[in-house]
Amino acid sequence: MRAVVAYTWARDVADAAVRQDGTVEWRKDKMSPGEDDHAALAAGLALTTDGGTLVGLTCGNGDASWALARGVEQAVHVTDATPHDDDAATAAVLAAGVRSIGAVDVVLVGDSEEHPGVPVALAAHLGWPAVVGVTTAAARDGRVEVVRTVGDLEETLSLAPPVVVAVAARSAETRVPGMKELLAARKRPVTRTTLAELGVDVPDTLVARGTRLPATAPTRVFDGEPGEATRQLVAALRNEGVL
Amino acid sequence: MSATATGAWVIATEEKRLAAMVRAARALGGTVTVVAVGPRALADAASAAGPDGVLWLEPAGAEPVEAHAAHVAAAAADAAPRTLLATVEPGARALLGAAAVRLGAAVVPGVLSLRTEGEGVVVECSAAGGAAIATLACPGPLAALFAGDDDVTAAAAPSAPVRVLDDGTAPADLRVVGRAASGRSAGVRDAERVVSVGRGLKAKADLALVESLASTLGAEVACSMPVAEDLGWVAKERYVGRSGQHISPRLYVALGISGTPQHMEGVREAKVVVAVNNDPAAAIFRTADYGIVGDLYDVVPALVAALSS
Ligand SMILES: Cc1cc2nc3c(=O)[nH]c(=O)nc-3n(C[C@H](O)[C@H](O)[C@H](O)COP(=O)(O)OP(=O)(O)OC[C@H]3O[C@@H](n4cnc5c(N)ncnc54)[C@H](O)[C@@H]3O)c2cc1C
Repeated sequence: MRAVVAYTWARDVADAAVRQDGTVEWRKDKMSPGEDDHAALAAGLALTTDGGTLVGLTCGNGDASWALARGVEQAVHVTDATPHDDDAATAAVLAAGVRSIGAVDVVLVGDSEEHPGVPVALAAHLGWPAVVGVTTAAARDGRVEVVRTVGDLEETLSLAPPVVVAVAARSAETRVPGMKELLAARKRPVTRTTLAELGVDVPDTLVARGTRLPATAPTRVFDGEPGEATRQLVAALRNEGVL
Repeated sequence: MSATATGAWVIATEEKRLAAMVRAARALGGTVTVVAVGPRALADAASAAGPDGVLWLEPAGAEPVEAHAAHVAAAAADAAPRTLLATVEPGARALLGAAAVRLGAAVVPGVLSLRTEGEGVVVECSAAGGAAIATLACPGPLAALFAGDDDVTAAAAPSAPVRVLDDGTAPADLRVVGRAASGRSAGVRDAERVVSVGRGLKAKADLALVESLASTLGAEVACSMPVAEDLGWVAKERYVGRSGQHISPRLYVALGISGTPQHMEGVREAKVVVAVNNDPAAAIFRTADYGIVGDLYDVVPALVAALSS
């Protein structure tokens, strides 16, 4: 199976600070590995353990070596891609990157909370189906078998390649690479390319008109000694009709 | 905008947020069509939600909704709606993505509201992980992943005609090969009241304290992920959050839980959230409705007493 894992294709919201006036400031204006990227990578490795290849794909000003330090042998880096509010635009860049890699059976991508439109638009740009919200993947008889939770059910699906699979992490990454892996990663090949070389033009069709703070009521905090604070809380909850 | 690109499509694979999306689409002006991919009951619910028409497609037994993405995209290309709406739910999302790219639409996640402005649409959507709200103007076609509140009070409008969507497009080769209970259906899921505990609890034995509050309230006990997964103090099917239970109790009491986005995602639909935490700077005090800053070992017994008096 030939798989591609897309990683580090957006900024991390943890790097965004929201000021009192509601404006958003990016303290670190860099693409970062997404919360789900490690799960997509794990699925890619699982799909290619019994032969096959896994190629990394990243875009923007992030660190291409992230996947190379985690078992991926080679990567493609679209260096001049920028963050987009439009998930279809981000997906168009990733799709061009996938096409540049040639024959591919499956593309794995983190099922990001922040950019849920990216995996499905990526599949559409490639003309492939998409299955999202997946937790694990395995290769079986030339097909891709994935598991996901839908309501109270755990669903297993068998997918014919080519297909885009979006993987949601269930927890933080547990095994972080050591110094040796980080050094080895620097020696692995990265093919650097640009939007112009790939022939993608992603005009930003959205016009950003600014940001504001959400109009949520602040938390009503009862302080003081526990007896008094809890009495006030109970009164408030009775008022709400939830007791 | 070309004369053909008008109206809105609501793509639905479940009833959740359907009425709210139809209402949001209505407010844009133009015709509203619901594309219902699922059982007949879904098409009927769509019809009663007040659109001008319903296009219905029922996947065969082992076909996931996603197998019909190309089919829906082809129909979208014919009808050329100006705006698409769907929830982030996996099936609906895949259909929306396929239709959006076919229409050359911008895909915007976390959309809370939409309005028409001249030839375009202006949306408000969540930004910076929900800490801010962004306003975006969309001069061209738009595909909105709708995250606005559900509209449970919507009156059932006269039923719109349901037409079967069938152009002979072959479904993609995707098959459901197994379905098993996920172990998510503990009592916690449907409970009206839930008392939940996090790493602020110092020892497993102290769960007795949590249980005393739960029994006073007639509540189920839940927890944060580390309490179940790392410490193993509470059964795994009782942890709440992104990877665990998504619940909607009337009352959720969080004891010694910091309030990370991954945890809070599981209680987004709770009516009232109460936080007890000894750190006044804990993130949970930015999202809870009520809070008590204090040591849970002092506050919980006092709360049991206050509830009993
Ligand atoms: C992909 C991913 C998915 C995840 N999914 C989930 C999920 O589904 N559910 C989930 O819960 N987490 C999930 N997490 C983990 C999540 O990010 C947090 O790590 C976790 O929720 C923290 O649990 P906590 O609040 O119990 O612990 P902590 O963050 O350690 O917070 C403990 C809190 O207790 C307070 N405290 C300490 N002592 C006392 C005391 N005596 N009295 C009162 N307060 C006290 C502290 O001030 C602190 O705020 C996920 C993470 C990732 C990366």
